[in-house]
Amino acid sequence: MRRLLLIALALAAAGTAFVYAQSGAMQTRLDNPAVSQSAKRPGQDRIWSAVVIARNVDKPKDPPPELKDFAPRLKRVFGYNQFELAGTATNPIGDRTESRLLPSPRLWLSVKARQAMSKEARGGYLLSLQLHQDQRQLVDTEAKLAPGSPLFMRGPAYGDGQVIIVLQIQR
Amino acid sequence: MKTFEERFTAWVDGQLTGTELAVFERELAQHPEAAADYADAQKLGALLRAKAIAPQLTNVDFFNLQIEQRIKAGNAHGAAQSKREKVWGFGFLPRLALGGAFCLLAAFGLFQSIIPSGSPVEKSPYFAQVVEAWPSDPSIYATTVYSAEDNVTVLWLDGLDYLPGNTLLQ
Repeated sequence: MRRLLLIALALAAAGTAFVYAQSGAMQTRLDNPAVSQSAKRPGQDRIWSAVVIARNVDKPKDPPPELKDFAPRLKRVFGYNQFELAGTATNPIGDRTESRLLPSPRLWLSVKARQAMSKEARGGYLLSLQLHQDQRQLVDTEAKLAPGSPLFMRGPAYGDGQVIIVLQIQR
Repeated sequence: MKTFEERFTAWVDGQLTGTELAVFERELAQHPEAAADYADAQKLGALLRAKAIAPQLTNVDFFNLQIEQRIKAGNAHGAAQSKREKVWGFGFLPRLALGGAFCLLAAFGLFQSIIPSGSPVEKSPYFAQVVEAWPSDPSIYATTVYSAEDNVTVLWLDGLDYLPGNTLLQ
């Protein structure tokens, strides 16, 4: 009888210790500065935009340094082998800010930003984006962006290639 | 209609008369074993009448009170004992231990299956998402393409005006 009681108590203690350890681990993850620290400094965030001209050529050039990280993914998704920068623009971004991104005088973006508050957003932004070609608005869109998660827009066909617009939050 | 047993009891007690008695005696002929039962019953009745003399109680109320108290005490003791047996008796603690172990196993299983071991942020650092897109021209189509393999989100616009290759974009 006593043995059974001891076994039950030991099981209960082990279960409690396990749950406590797990919840502690989860708390540690949530408190991870790498995840949460960035959200504390929204004033230093910037939004980087680029107009990229993608082409298929016989002897493709290396992508510019700004596109090194994106080039393999752009190749797979859009099927082109050469990517050139037509222009870039960087603006500061924060909660409830509005700005105009002019990576190209012909293709530009109007941006309204709100900071996403959920933990999953990792200090990201909910953006209201309007893409313009000259004075004509092409599309109005709502998108969520966070550092390390760029958004690509397939723009108009350009010569024998394609215009791609890249948006990236930088911290 | 009375059953055979009821009529037999009435017959043993001498309560059957007339036609009912005659009918039952005819019926009784088909049950020879009933005659032996009848003889036993008669013998027992005679014995009880001869020997069973109830003792004369000198103090009936006191006797009844004692009996009542004993019954009450017995009931209370029995109830307490049965309660003790229910709580601490055979089978309770093993069941408690088994129940506890089962609950712990169930809790562990649920914890493992329901609560993710790693946060989604760690599993997929990618976050970009197009919530909605409204083309400003009916000739423009906006589609969201997400490649999970490459972690790429593309707002795919179709129907845009072609830009000649000599268009100055810079």
